[in-house]
Amino acid sequence: MKIIIIGAGEVGFHSAQKLSEEGQDVVVIDKDPDKVRRITEDLDVQVLLGSGTSPGTLKTSGIIDADMLVAATDSDEANLIACLLARNMNRYILKVARVRNQEYLQEKDLFGKDLLGVEQIINPDSAMVETIRNLMTVPGASDVIDFVDGRIKLIGITIKPDSPFAGRRLSTFNDLDGNLLIGAIIRGEKILIPHGQDVIQAHDLIYLVIKSDELHKIFGFLDIREEDLRRVIIIGAGETGTSLAIALDKTKLHVKVIEKDSQRCASLAEKLEKVIVINGDGTDKELLLEENINEMDFLVALSGDEENNILISLLAKELGVKKTITRISKLSYIPLVSAIGIDTVVSPRLSAVRAILQYIRRGKVISVAPLKGEHAEAIEAEALETSDIVDTPLSHIKFPKGALVGAIVRGDEIIIPKGDSMIKCKDRLIIFALREVIPKLEKLLTVKLDFF
Amino acid sequence: MNPYHVLRFVGILVLFLGLSMIIPLGVSLIYKDGSTLSLLWSMIITTSAGLLLSVSIKKDDNKQLNHRDGVAIVTFGWIAAGLVGAIPFILSGTIHDFSNAYFESISGFTTTGATVLSNIEYVPKGILMWRSITQWFGGMGIIVLSIAILPFLGVGGMQLYKAEIPSPVVDKLKPRISDTAKTLWKVYLLITALEIILLLGGGMSLFDSINHAFCTMPTGGFSPKNSSIAHYNSPYFDGVIIFFMLLAGINFSLHYRLITTGELTAFVKDPECRVFLSMVFILILVVTFNIYGSVYDSILKAFRYASFQVSSIITTTGFVTADYEKWPVLSRNILLFCMFLGGMAGSTGGGIKTMRVILLVKHGYQEIFRIIHPHAVTSVKLGGRAVPSEILSSIWGFFILYLILFVASTLAMSFLGLDLISSFASVAACIFNVGPGLGVVGPVDNYMGIPLVGKWVLIFCMLLGRLEIYTVIVLLMPEYWRK
Repeated sequence: MKIIIIGAGEVGFHSAQKLSEEGQDVVVIDKDPDKVRRITEDLDVQVLLGSGTSPGTLKTSGIIDADMLVAATDSDEANLIACLLARNMNRYILKVARVRNQEYLQEKDLFGKDLLGVEQIINPDSAMVETIRNLMTVPGASDVIDFVDGRIKLIGITIKPDSPFAGRRLSTFNDLDGNLLIGAIIRGEKILIPHGQDVIQAHDLIYLVIKSDELHKIFGFLDIREEDLRRVIIIGAGETGTSLAIALDKTKLHVKVIEKDSQRCASLAEKLEKVIVINGDGTDKELLLEENINEMDFLVALSGDEENNILISLLAKELGVKKTITRISKLSYIPLVSAIGIDTVVSPRLSAVRAILQYIRRGKVISVAPLKGEHAEAIEAEALETSDIVDTPLSHIKFPKGALVGAIVRGDEIIIPKGDSMIKCKDRLIIFALREVIPKLEKLLTVKLDFF
Repeated sequence: MNPYHVLRFVGILVLFLGLSMIIPLGVSLIYKDGSTLSLLWSMIITTSAGLLLSVSIKKDDNKQLNHRDGVAIVTFGWIAAGLVGAIPFILSGTIHDFSNAYFESISGFTTTGATVLSNIEYVPKGILMWRSITQWFGGMGIIVLSIAILPFLGVGGMQLYKAEIPSPVVDKLKPRISDTAKTLWKVYLLITALEIILLLGGGMSLFDSINHAFCTMPTGGFSPKNSSIAHYNSPYFDGVIIFFMLLAGINFSLHYRLITTGELTAFVKDPECRVFLSMVFILILVVTFNIYGSVYDSILKAFRYASFQVSSIITTTGFVTADYEKWPVLSRNILLFCMFLGGMAGSTGGGIKTMRVILLVKHGYQEIFRIIHPHAVTSVKLGGRAVPSEILSSIWGFFILYLILFVASTLAMSFLGLDLISSFASVAACIFNVGPGLGVVGPVDNYMGIPLVGKWVLIFCMLLGRLEIYTVIVLLMPEYWRK
C-alpha cells in the first residue's frame, strides 16, 4: 500500500514510522528542511520538501497512484485542503485527517462522501482526554484501555516493590482462576508476553484483562486501594487541558486549572462554569500550596513542556497528591520516569498511532491499542468461520511465539481462556502480540480467506 | 561504531562476492582456458571466509545501524572486496604479487580501469570475465546491490546507501530503500543487456560483447583487448560505445524516469543533464577542430576520434581508440580537465560531477554579485529551486578536500620519481576513476612501471574517488574512533 503523509511533526513522524515498519510504502511531505532531514535519517521512507497543500508537490509525491493520504499537519485548514486536493486528483484515495477544531468536527457533513470524503479523523487531544478520563475511573491503574464496548478492560498496573505480587510466579495465581489474565509484562524497555513460569518483579508494568463488572472485586483482591475521587488539578490549559477541563466541568468533580498565560486563562474561564481557573506557574510550590495541593486526589500535568510536566508531577507527589497523570511525548522517557515513581503517563503519540493503526488494520481487526512503548499491541478481532483457529482447543492452535489470547467474548459471556478453551465462529478475541508477530497473527486470523 | 555489525556485514558481502565467482567459473569451463581450478579455489576460499565471518559473529539484534556504522561498513566492505577480487589473479598466476593483484582488483571495483597487465589477450578468459564483473559490480555499487538483495536492511540501508552513492544529494526513487536499490539495479541491468545486444548485432563475439558492456555501464574501461576498442577499428562499435558511455554518465534516476514515463524530455528538462550534454558537445567540437589537420586529415575521422576520447574521459570510462598523447597540447589539456569534471551526480561516473561543478560556479558568481549589490538577498538556484546553504558548504568542503588530497598524492608520486605530467596525470586518472592518464600511464601504456609505494598511493586515491572522499577520510579521523 502506498501512503502519503503530510506533515512530519509528532503525529506525522510516528505514523510514518509505524506504517513503514508495517511494510507500507510511505512518502512524507513537509515544508521544514530540519524535519525533513531528521526523518530521512531515521526512517526508511521517501521524503519531499514542500507544502502539502501545493498541487504540484502532491503530484510529485505520486498521489495519483497512492492508496491513502494522512494529513497530519498542525493546521486543520491545511489538512482539510490537502484532503480536498487529494480527492480531486485521485477519487479512490483513502483519507485520514488530523482535525482538532471542535467546530469543524461538529459539521459532520463536511467529512462525508459528498464533500471531503475523509474516512478517519485523528484527534490526539480528544483521544488523550478520553484516556485520562478512563484512567480517572480506575485510579489504581497506570493504563486503561477499553475493549468490546467497555465490557472488557485492559488495565496496566505498576508493581510497587512492597506489593505482594513482586517476586511471584504467574502460575501461582491459580486461585484467581477464571477472572484474571496477565497479558503482557513490561519490564524497563523490554516487553514480555508471559508464560506460567515467568516471575513478576518490582517496577514491572503488568497488563491485566478484566471483565469490567468484576473490576472492584479484583482490585480488592490485588490489594489496590480505590479511593473516591473528588478533587482534580490540571496544569496547563493547552488544547488537551482545555478539552479536559470542559469535559470535567459537567461532572461532579472539583476541578482547578493552573495556566501561565493570562489570556488563555481568561478565554478558558469564559467557557467554564464550575472549574476554577488560576493564573500562575505550575512549578511554583507556593502557588500549589496556596491551592491546597496536599488535599488533591489527582494532578494532571498537561503543559506543552514534557520535562516541566515530569517535575510538576514529582513535586506534587512530594506535596501529597495521591495520583498524578503526566503528559510525555518522548516514549524513551517512559522507562526512566516510571523508575522515579511517575507511573501514569499519557502520550499524544500513542493516541495518534492508535487511531492510524485502527484504520489500516480495518477489516482484519475491530480495534487495536499499542501498549506502552509501542512494541506490543492488544488487538480485538472477530474469529472468522474461515480461520484455522475456530473450533480447535487453544493449546492446539499454532499461535506465533509472542502472541496470547487474553479474552474470548461470546455473546454476553466473557471467557478468560485456558488451554482447553475453544474459540467459536463469531467470537470476539482480545489478543496480545509483540509487534513483530503481528503479520503472522493477521494471517492466522484470516488464513483460509486467501484461498477464495 | 559497532564492530560486530561491521564484521558481520563485511562477511555477508564477501560471501556474496564468493558466490558470484560462479560466473567466471562457468566461463572458464566453457572456454577450457586452464583457470578453472584456480577460480574454483578462489570461490571456495572466499565463500568459506564469508560464511565464517557472517555466521560466527552473533547477531546483535534490536540495534539499528547508525551513520558511523554506515561509513565503516562501506569503507571496510570495499577494502575487503578488493582483497577478494585479487585472489583469482594470484591463484591463476596472472599477476604474481599481492600489491599488483590488489591494484588490479581495486581498479576494477572502483571502476577506474587502470591495469597492470601488459598482455591482456594472453590472460585466461575466466579471469578476464572476473575482471569485468568486478567493474560491473563496482559501478552501481556492491553495497547498493546488497541492499537490493538482502531484505533485512531497512533504515540502516539508508546509511549505507548514502555512504556509497556518488552524489551530493541523495534522492530516493521509491519510498523504500531496498526498492530504490532494486530499481537502480534493474535499470542498470536493462541498459547493460541492451548494449550487449547492440554489440553482438555489429558482429562482436559474445564474450567480448559481454565484457565490453560490463565495463562500459559502470564507466570502468577494462577491455579484453590489448588495444582496447581501437582493436576493432569500427565506426559502428565506436558509435555504440560512445552512446552507452554517455548513458552511463547520466543520472540513473533520469533513465528510470524515461523507462517508466517514456518522456524523452526528462533529459532536456533536467538542468544538470542539459549542462552535461552541452559541455560534452562543445568539448568534442573544440577537440575535433584542434586535431583536424594536425593529426587527422579528414574532418569525419577527427570528429569520430574526438567524440570517442572526450566521451570516454569525461564519463571517466577510460576506453581508448586513439593514442591521444600524440594530439596537440590543447586537446591533451582538455582531456586532462575532462577527468576533473566527470559524469552527472547519480551516474556511475567518477570525477567531481557536473552537479557540483554547476553549483560551485553559481556560488562563485553569487559572491561576485554580492560585491556589486552588497545588500542583495540572493540564493543559489538549480532548476528553479534554491539549494540549501549546507549543501553548498558541503560541496566546497568536498572540493577543497579533493584538491588537498590531489596535491598531496601528486607530490608523493613525484617524490617516487615520476615526471611532472605523469605524476599529475596518474593521480588524476586514479582519483577520478578514469584509468588511462598521460605520460608513463598514457592510453597505450599501463601501470606496471609505477613503483610499489606509488601503487598503494594510487589504490588509496581510487578508493577515495569512488567513495567520494568523506566516507573514507572520516575513518582516518581520531574523532571518529573516540568513544
